[in-house]
Amino acid sequence: MKKIFLVLSGFALLFASCKPTFKADAPSANGLNFSNYVAIGNSLTAGYADGSLYRSGQMNSYPSMLHQQFVLVGGSLEFKQPLLPGESGWPGRKYVMGFSTDVMGVTSMGPVLYSGTLDTGANVASLAPFNNYGVPGIRAIDYTTNGYAIMNPYAGRILSNPFSNMLAEVKKNPATFFTMWLGSNDVLGYATSGGEGSPTIGSPNNISDVTTFKTVYDTVVKTMVANGAKGALMNIPDVTSIPYFTTIPANGLTLNDSLANLLNMAYPGFNNNFVAGANYFVIQDPTVVAGFRQALPGELILLTVPQDSIRYFGWGSATPIPKKYVLDLTEIQNIKTATTTFNDYLQQQAIAHNLAYVDMNSFMKTLAKGMVFNGVTYSPTFVTGGAFSLDGVHLTPRGYAIAANEMIRVINAHYKSTVPMIDVNKFNGILFPSTTH
Amino acid sequence: MTKRRLLTSLFLLPAAIAFSAGYQINVQGVRQVAMGGTGCGLAWDASTIFYNPGGLSDLNNWQAYGSVNLLFAQTRYAQVPTQGLTEDSKMGVYAPFNIYVGGPLAANNKIGVGLGIYTPFGSGLTWENSWSGRFVTQSINLKSVFFQPTVSYKVCDFFSIGGGFVYAMGGVDLKKGIPLQDENGINGQAHLKGNANGLGYNIGAQIRIDDQWQIGISYRSRVNMKVKKGTANFYVPSSLETNFPNTSFSTTLPLPSVTTIGIAFKATDEITLQADFNYLKWSAYKQLEFDYVDNTSVLTDTKSPRNYNDKMSFRLGGHYIFNDKFCLMAGAAYDPTPVADGYVSPDLPDANHWIMSGGLTYELNEKITFMGAIEYNTTVRRNAQYTPDNFNGTYQTKVVLPSFGMTYDF
Repeated sequence: MKKIFLVLSGFALLFASCKPTFKADAPSANGLNFSNYVAIGNSLTAGYADGSLYRSGQMNSYPSMLHQQFVLVGGSLEFKQPLLPGESGWPGRKYVMGFSTDVMGVTSMGPVLYSGTLDTGANVASLAPFNNYGVPGIRAIDYTTNGYAIMNPYAGRILSNPFSNMLAEVKKNPATFFTMWLGSNDVLGYATSGGEGSPTIGSPNNISDVTTFKTVYDTVVKTMVANGAKGALMNIPDVTSIPYFTTIPANGLTLNDSLANLLNMAYPGFNNNFVAGANYFVIQDPTVVAGFRQALPGELILLTVPQDSIRYFGWGSATPIPKKYVLDLTEIQNIKTATTTFNDYLQQQAIAHNLAYVDMNSFMKTLAKGMVFNGVTYSPTFVTGGAFSLDGVHLTPRGYAIAANEMIRVINAHYKSTVPMIDVNKFNGILFPSTTH
Repeated sequence: MTKRRLLTSLFLLPAAIAFSAGYQINVQGVRQVAMGGTGCGLAWDASTIFYNPGGLSDLNNWQAYGSVNLLFAQTRYAQVPTQGLTEDSKMGVYAPFNIYVGGPLAANNKIGVGLGIYTPFGSGLTWENSWSGRFVTQSINLKSVFFQPTVSYKVCDFFSIGGGFVYAMGGVDLKKGIPLQDENGINGQAHLKGNANGLGYNIGAQIRIDDQWQIGISYRSRVNMKVKKGTANFYVPSSLETNFPNTSFSTTLPLPSVTTIGIAFKATDEITLQADFNYLKWSAYKQLEFDYVDNTSVLTDTKSPRNYNDKMSFRLGGHYIFNDKFCLMAGAAYDPTPVADGYVSPDLPDANHWIMSGGLTYELNEKITFMGAIEYNTTVRRNAQYTPDNFNGTYQTKVVLPSFGMTYDF
């Protein structure tokens, strides 16, 4: 018996001794208090993706991912979001990858509207307080606007008093740590409407007034830090680098010899500019005498331009592309100038309140070059890049995880904490059909 | 009959895992394993066909030799820079084996002949399919079996030479995730599998300096293991299948040359000490290439840089004749990794190895001897990354290897 025991324990020892036993260093909050993490922001914070808000998108919002990492360093287990009941999207349906047939009967794979029953968006204020106050569409300058619920159905779901404002709602849940990613919509609305602007002062199609932006932003930050909360401010990405503006190239007009000749005859003022191969689209431009011209290098065509019209009905060649689908160089400059002005102010705010400043603007530029994470290459390319969802503006869960990791990196650097990074690849990217037609 | 059946079943055992530095496996003889991997200076038994073919003509008689190693290996990974996560590879159990038959043509004949079948290279590492490095590797299995017919000639009393031609066969089998998801979020997978073969040689010489000192030198050539027509299967969402046609591939994995100098010193009648220095020309392994027959815009040939470095390993061992029946052995070795910082991939997260070993032999009778050894092999904990995939981690691998064998003298 004893011998058998010896032999058995010998083998047990063998097995035990071939297991690596080193322990990973324990992550540390280094004094940061994650007992009540509150996220403030817009659609990016809400988890909006694929052109709508839906439950799994919300559950994979970057604040939810950050919360899961904060739990690893002693954060509260609870993280409450104003979740929608279903997956279809609200108030409009989300996009999914699918097959669609164009006017000429050609079937191809691309984003199509989800076919499920539209979701419902009843008011959820009774479940408050929330940890995620992301409101799709909200601008920084909207944050203290009373009665904002009337203008924004997403705010209407969250606000307990429709005549009140978002900041008043957020105040009810004093944060110990907060993140704030506000300001993108203060330029994005102008960009996605083709830079046309609106004569109505305060219209979302205009770039926000700088003074108002600063005043409101300052008020929100001061409110958040009033109880000594620590946090991070994320700046405004360069919206012109997202797939919404970069997928259709300005020189996407592909011609053969005879078509080029025809166009050269049709547009004698263009100096025989059309050649076989890639050509710049003809676009509408009321500032020139003719009312149209060829697009210039660097100008952007919006993803929303009707593709069938370009492919089959002469848009961009025989018919100039309407200006609401084009960002011209002046409009792009307006966006860049405003973004820089706003971001300079955000950085000042971060310094003034000693908050972490996450430069998402620079980070998105590195993503634009292609970013490899654990064997997967991410880029801002529409659909195949993996980081941007099917609306070309918002991110996939993987894209949000990449952004969240950058936030964690900067938070760790600023507060000397070691919050663990997220395994980006465990979240979903673009989902492809399991059928072939 | 019984013996033949034993040999056959040994032959069917799966070969090999990397547990020396790189994808080398240094377990071609039980006595040598017990002595820290030393064995170039002195012909201990028929396993000298591998350790130094020059020693074969020094054997007193014909010998049949069989041994098998049971290799238990596990690797731990910890995420960096903030270690929120540790993951362990699946426990790998492997059985590299050796078979040798050989000896002098007749008693006191100057010519020795023999055949060696052994597994000097290989590697295996299987992670959970869902682990964080799944798009870099999920599992890898490299196998090789060498067949080496050998001739040795005793030039004079104190000098013998030998050499053998090597035919190597083996295979590669690897799986990794493809980051394309279907409607249910299931990721794709690539599975590459193929048979490989290659040619090489193994030559050596032994010189007896005096009654106490003996020196050996051996050179095992590089063997390029070529997969000419492996099968590549891709599992992706149906809507993308035309982009990932199942196809065949070719690749080459170089098994590096090893130059060894070994010294044996007979300290007393009972005690022999030896030291081996191995120089491995790992720089042959520049990159891992997969050349697919059918390419598409997304399925392109791949080249993963490896850029291994040449390395020297150091081995020490001792042999003690306890009595007529028993001999005791012990040894230690330092086996530095050929893998440079920035190229430490989780399919072989190598680091410098420290090795301790011991063993004993029992002579049952004039014909039969049993051998047993155990080796403990650990890498130092290494914080490293594989830059091309931006995959970072802290790794450690531990291996325990019991080794059993038997010789039969004719």
